[in-house]
Amino acid sequence: MEALKSAFDFSDFPRVDLLIAAGFSAFLLLFPLLPHSSFAMATMIQFLMFSVYGMGWNTIGGYGGQVDLGKAQYVGIGAFTTAVFLIRWDIPFWVSMPIGVCFAVTWSFIIGYPLFRLKGHYFAIATIATSLVLKDIFEVWDFVGAARGLEISPVKYHPPDFLRLIFKQDLYYYYVILGLFFLGILYVNWFRKSQLGYQLRCIKDNEHVAQSLGINVHWAKIKTYAIATAFVSVVGSFHACYIKNIEPEDTMSLDISILIALMAMLGGAGSLWGPIIGAAVLIPMKNYLKAWLGAQAGLAGIDLVIYAAIIMLISAVEPKGIWGIVEKVRQKKREK
Amino acid sequence: MDILAPSIVAGLQIGMVLALVALGLTIIFGVMDIVNFAHGEFLMIGMYTGLLTAHVTGMDPLLTLPCAALVGFLLGILCYFGFIRYLIRGPMVAQLLGTFGLMLFLRNLALLIFGSEDRAIHEGILVGKSFDLGMGIILPATKLAGALLSVVSFLIVWLFINRTKLGRALTATALNAQGARYMGIPTEKMNAIAWGIGGGTVTVAGALLVNFWSVNPYVGLLFTMIAFAIVALGGFGSVTGAFFAGLAVGIITEIPGIWDFFTYTFNLEWMANVPMTSFKYTWVYLAYFVIMVVRPRGLFGWKH
Repeated sequence: MEALKSAFDFSDFPRVDLLIAAGFSAFLLLFPLLPHSSFAMATMIQFLMFSVYGMGWNTIGGYGGQVDLGKAQYVGIGAFTTAVFLIRWDIPFWVSMPIGVCFAVTWSFIIGYPLFRLKGHYFAIATIATSLVLKDIFEVWDFVGAARGLEISPVKYHPPDFLRLIFKQDLYYYYVILGLFFLGILYVNWFRKSQLGYQLRCIKDNEHVAQSLGINVHWAKIKTYAIATAFVSVVGSFHACYIKNIEPEDTMSLDISILIALMAMLGGAGSLWGPIIGAAVLIPMKNYLKAWLGAQAGLAGIDLVIYAAIIMLISAVEPKGIWGIVEKVRQKKREK
Repeated sequence: MDILAPSIVAGLQIGMVLALVALGLTIIFGVMDIVNFAHGEFLMIGMYTGLLTAHVTGMDPLLTLPCAALVGFLLGILCYFGFIRYLIRGPMVAQLLGTFGLMLFLRNLALLIFGSEDRAIHEGILVGKSFDLGMGIILPATKLAGALLSVVSFLIVWLFINRTKLGRALTATALNAQGARYMGIPTEKMNAIAWGIGGGTVTVAGALLVNFWSVNPYVGLLFTMIAFAIVALGGFGSVTGAFFAGLAVGIITEIPGIWDFFTYTFNLEWMANVPMTSFKYTWVYLAYFVIMVVRPRGLFGWKH
């Protein structure tokens, strides 16, 4: 009960933030009623998915300061669990999703235990290595379809199938992911005020101090890593039902891991709104750049060149992200 | 023996080139404590430089090395002054993602300019010739030349770092940047030189590699990861370590061949059923993970 109260308690934010957040939530709820193209709808779903990925990353990477660049492996675990269970044994999404989370969290404990002995760069690159190892295994594992991947054919089911999450219109998917999105916000809002949340921020600032305060640093990191993993795995399961055609190459590639981290960093790591702002800026930008420039003959790659240039610019000029700029402006106002 | 010896020789041969690939990464890391994700992309640029210089001037591909070195040196310096200098002020996550952005930038620029098809060198003095060393070892001349020239280049950089004044200043900056600044060493310049040498060595490696490895804009990431593994094994910042670790990782990439040897020697059926060739580079990533967990300092490392 106490936890629930804390999750709904946003009172420590300035009123302007809350007004904007409420307005944005209303927009998200009403978006399908507004006139929109199917491309805009797909972009919105992708935006919501990546915000939840980013929120998950933000717990360990933002609040904890542990730069994890291997989140794609858990996207893969979630997605493949759901797809395999549905195709082989006809087990619906709402059952296979928690099972996928269990697999992902177990795997995160197995690799998290040795991983968190490392710090900084070493940790970041080691997470990439584990992710690539898992991807290579999935690419030859026949049970999960090897490199061809798996395809959920919607013909066998009768959409709209709410148990298996097989729909014809994107509208249903939109509301499912929107629900997960709000749940994610509430969870992170509780998390940042929980004991573990405070412990993590202490670890981020100074690990030795954290240790001397009696915090079990290693265990706190592993626990948070598991939380981040659960977030990513849930959306991974959703991804399998939404995309319906999953391959190791697009669900588990390094690009996905980096994109997740980038999202949180661009918006402002270590703040509740950061990953959402980051995803809201980055995903539409990426998709529309691709749609406008990527299709032009002889210019293959120009959209990604621009996208990369923007990443470089942000990381060199404003490494604290958009939220960092907002806080700087507020600080200046207060000083006046 | 007919399988084992060629595998090991092939591993050592590619290992010598890989050591040169990783050299730049370890120097940059040692001096500046920054992980460069774009390292493989520098290699890709070196490969294209070698290929195109040979194509345009009609020279033998192996003679394009000075050109590649110059391009790499300038590229490294340009990256440092144009980008990295601003990047290092930020937190670590921004540094990682910033160099990742540089990687995406270079890769897609190459895609834009050169297109996505594979390109390879088809003519040259050494192309098509090979040496038969007995015991089933047949070594193509291009690979042999690539390996030997890699070792020579490595030795030149090693001598530069250990035997010249500038090299010692570089080492001093790596050991303690603040202390070096007090001693009157221009650390900013040293950082730029580290990037220049890092870029130059890796593009030379690229120009050597392109003689027996086809190039496309996506080739970089694999080598970035291999270079990370080598640097981890040899010790972050250690030049000598990079050489021996390069050889070791070269042999690790030949594990499928060694596996075949054991399969036939002991005639084990289950071993033959493992799709080993698909795991060619998985072992490298796994090795990286195990080294980092067991001995984060690496074999010759001093940074911790």
